[in-house]
Amino acid sequence: MNLRINFSSGVPIYLQLMEQIKHAVETGAIRAGEQLPTIRKIAEELTMNPNTVARAYRALEREGIVEVRHGLGVFVAGPQSSAAKTAEIRKAGEVLRSAMEKGMALDLSESELRRVFEEELSRLQEKAATTKRQT
Amino acid sequence: MLWFKAWLEVRWRFFFMVGSILFVWLTPMWITATGVHSGVPAARLWMAIQLASVLLFIFTAIYLAGSGINTQGIYTFTPGFHGSMLFTLSLPISRRRLLFVRVGLGALQTCILVAIMAVYIVHLRPESTSALQALIYLTRTIVCTMAIYAFSVLLSCVLDEIWQVTGAFIFWTAVFLLQAKFDWVARISPLRGMSLNCYPITAPMPWEAVLGSLALAVLLLWASVLVVQRKEY
Amino acid sequence: MNEQLIETHGLSKSYRGTPALRGLNLAVPRGSICGFLGRNGAGKTTTLKLLLGMLRPDAGEIRLFGEAVETEASSIAARRRIGFVSEDKELYPFMNVGQTIRFTRPFFPGWRRDLEERYLELFRLPLGKAVPKLSKGMRTQLMLLLAMARGAELLLMDEPTSGLDPAMTEDILRALADSAASGETTIFFSSHQLAEVEQICDRVCIIDEGQAVIDGELDELKSQYRRILLVFDGLPPRELSGLTGIDHLRQRGRTASLLAHGDVDTLVEHARSLGPNSVEVRPVTLKELFLDHVRGE
Repeated sequence: MNLRINFSSGVPIYLQLMEQIKHAVETGAIRAGEQLPTIRKIAEELTMNPNTVARAYRALEREGIVEVRHGLGVFVAGPQSSAAKTAEIRKAGEVLRSAMEKGMALDLSESELRRVFEEELSRLQEKAATTKRQT
Repeated sequence: MLWFKAWLEVRWRFFFMVGSILFVWLTPMWITATGVHSGVPAARLWMAIQLASVLLFIFTAIYLAGSGINTQGIYTFTPGFHGSMLFTLSLPISRRRLLFVRVGLGALQTCILVAIMAVYIVHLRPESTSALQALIYLTRTIVCTMAIYAFSVLLSCVLDEIWQVTGAFIFWTAVFLLQAKFDWVARISPLRGMSLNCYPITAPMPWEAVLGSLALAVLLLWASVLVVQRKEY
Repeated sequence: MNEQLIETHGLSKSYRGTPALRGLNLAVPRGSICGFLGRNGAGKTTTLKLLLGMLRPDAGEIRLFGEAVETEASSIAARRRIGFVSEDKELYPFMNVGQTIRFTRPFFPGWRRDLEERYLELFRLPLGKAVPKLSKGMRTQLMLLLAMARGAELLLMDEPTSGLDPAMTEDILRALADSAASGETTIFFSSHQLAEVEQICDRVCIIDEGQAVIDGELDELKSQYRRILLVFDGLPPRELSGLTGIDHLRQRGRTASLLAHGDVDTLVEHARSLGPNSVEVRPVTLKELFLDHVRGE
């Protein structure tokens, strides 16, 4: 697994770690049934806080992505439909790519494009939150 | 290990003192060697030697009382703050014990040097001295020097090195002047207690001076402990 | 284990009339690595000295390992379980590395020889080298060795990586991470290096003018705080500053930058209702969190 954390980012580190591990599972870098490195090992390799690693592992366990086998370690949970997930990710990438190409054709700079994207994203999030509240 | 550390801290002071004493003594010994030829009476020379020695006792006490936990703190006048004090204070050890070890070692060194000097003075005396007289002289000299030592310990709790020495000299000069005027000062003064002018070697133990010095030393050390315990670093 | 290893309530301290700490409230739970941030003179070193009994507080309470520390005896009892690294990393100039270790060992019955040897080897500290001849980096490593080999449950450090090159900084951080991973150590250190605090700490406490302005889990703070950027046609409306949930507001021309935490969604809604041209919601870095809380604008 090739883990890289951006410690200065505003994104919580445990979330970044979770994302990277999930990505590793989806791309097949680590497969179902294989053991993940120990908390200590990751903390040592990335020179980061072991509690944060532990938190990521716990969250992953709650999401069912990994399972903790006491005394043995942390393992990737059952056979994943990694193939399906990978395909979905690829499709989303294609959709976004074409949208972005159209955006660039409108003579927008990269940062303007990003701002529009984030605004739309936050609008969507708001909408989802409002809808959730109404139900 | 604390004693070893204290020793490492002050050994250069100690060696300096030894060197100074030897230097001061070599001069009168040389004078004695030549003086006898030039007709100066031995008795006079001897008095000169022991007078110089009193000054040596005093300086030894003052000088060896400096440095250690009592000196370093935020009220020092010079930027010579020994940063390692923070390390020492972070250890699980009481300030009192730190002071005792440091003060104890300095006291031991002072007593040894003073004892050696006192014995040698007795040896140099033209007339012969009985063992009892020698012992009396030795005891009173050491106790009186300890009072001077204790005062410098207290001073170095609140003053930096240079000021401590200056302050001590000013104080004992004041005592020297006062003891001529006030009888009660003269009776308990450590300066007189160690002087062979005031109490010749044949005199009995000057109890008031000796007990007064002892009490003074104990009091001053107790005050030093209190100061060090309250100090902020 | 929710035991708080360090707790202060209303801790106050003044030096010759100038207040250094004004009612500091701090809580550091067991097992965490907590970064203590603040500007120069904000009270970081004073806090550490108070915890160790080098200074006496004017007011307030200090609890270490759950016990109140008020007398010298209770302070000494706490110090048996604490390792300290001072800002200047000064040790005895009349000793060498080996003597310093041999000097420190007898004070701690729980001294860990295995850790002593491990860190001696890891840091490559020559036993015979005199302390004054050590570089600042090696002095830091020696002090760290002394602090960890004593089997301390709590490490208190004053700017442990200041003046160190990146390689040595990484070594020290790794040693700290490893120490915390063993589960036996809680670490509380003051620092100016935001990057390393973000890297190694799971908790952060920001002190400003003698008081704690932020105290919490770093990841939580990053989850809760958001920066909202608004661009208006003209000057931002005055109602903007009246919205609840804003920690910090900065206006420049037609742009308003808000630091918000808590119910960010509602705030964004309200902000939107003021009719901005664009609304951008971004996560917040520790640097922003720090600067916005200590610049006192």
